[in-house]
Amino acid sequence: MVDSNDTSLSNNKQQRDWGFYCIIAFIGLIAAWLLLMPLIPGISKHSLQRFHLRTPSFSVWAAQFPVPSMYNFANQYKVEQYPPGFVMMIIDENWRYANHFPARVITFFAGRSEFLFSQQDRWFTLKSSYRGQVLESKFHLEAQAEGGYKLIRIDELEESL
Amino acid sequence: MNKITQAFQRLQSAGLNRPLAAYRLVQAAILTSLFWKWEFFLQANSIYATIPVEDPFFPDWLRSVTTIRFAFWVSALATAISLITSTNLLRKICNWLGFVGISLMCVHQGSYNDMTFVTIWWCCLWSVWLAHRVETDQQELLIRRAAFLSRLIISLILLGGAAGKWTPEYWSGEVLFDIYFVDRDFWVFNYLRDNYEPKELQEIAKWYSRQIVVVETISGIGLWVLPARWAALVGTIILSGVVILSNWYLGSVIACLIGLASVGFFVPRRPRNSVTPLGSATETPAAN
Repeated sequence: MVDSNDTSLSNNKQQRDWGFYCIIAFIGLIAAWLLLMPLIPGISKHSLQRFHLRTPSFSVWAAQFPVPSMYNFANQYKVEQYPPGFVMMIIDENWRYANHFPARVITFFAGRSEFLFSQQDRWFTLKSSYRGQVLESKFHLEAQAEGGYKLIRIDELEESL
Repeated sequence: MNKITQAFQRLQSAGLNRPLAAYRLVQAAILTSLFWKWEFFLQANSIYATIPVEDPFFPDWLRSVTTIRFAFWVSALATAISLITSTNLLRKICNWLGFVGISLMCVHQGSYNDMTFVTIWWCCLWSVWLAHRVETDQQELLIRRAAFLSRLIISLILLGGAAGKWTPEYWSGEVLFDIYFVDRDFWVFNYLRDNYEPKELQEIAKWYSRQIVVVETISGIGLWVLPARWAALVGTIILSGVVILSNWYLGSVIACLIGLASVGFFVPRRPRNSVTPLGSATETPAAN
């Protein structure tokens, strides 16, 4: 069990350690957030948006980085050479799972070298689900004449949760 | 003065400063995690320069490859200096520099998704706290608190992994089947693919996935309440198991956490027949 010697408060001034208690409070806050995630749809919605880089503001998104999220949610992605709907596939079998942050297939070095090496336009569809909630996002990676790509969110106004 | 404090004093007089030794172990573990990612930094250095992705969601400077170069080298050099220096002020400055560098990696477009930087960040936070306390004359209390914080952090990280898996796709094994069992080149999965039919593999993936969900949930909720040395042992075994049984690349995520878990081994043993009154460690400062 927790050893009270590790955490006990003391009247001795030398032993006051506010940094220690602040870190404990911070951890407690994040733990509460995680434990409430399956119970409160708003929290899981927020977390799914974080995974798709769709949080309304960058600073709110960045503030969540200490929340550990290793292998969270069922994240799938699909990469296409043509715009969605342009070519009708009879059997859609291009979906693969990603461990976390499925937008990594666009932003991380491995995804860029695999999918964006050709310098041609690509369309990415990301789908993450958690206990019945689903967030789907579509991105157009438009090749630029000077090299590189411009990321366009083609479903910016579409609310799929 | 109780027996634990006496034993602790004997070790200190023999030259072992437990909080500082634990601190240095964690710095070495952070460096291991950082350089485990060396291949990533080499690739990022060229790919992010040749294939930039313009996305207004990120500020320009958090899309720049220069920022990643700066953040990596500042973090690595600062951590290396904090590992070897005996000057307390320099140690504190280096810990803050490392903390800032890793914080940048956690929100940069090219590295935000990598859990390595999140686990290193938590180790850096722990290091900043300890660097500001390491000169205290209450070293027994300090190492107990350092170990308590370390197991609290590891519990939180495991809880974070568990909470996101409390969903049917993980309970059925569907996600991990696709990520690992279909084509991942790693000894466990190569062996299973060579010896089992696809139908059997799906069943194995289901139980493999359920085992992860259960272990992460139990340790996420309960690891921090274990005694320091037991938590260190259990934490080290669980974390090592993640690397050995799933993915070599996870070594970068886990190495620093194994270092952090090991802090519990620095907590002095209690003699079996001694009874320590509640709060006595805080009331009896251990001399240097």
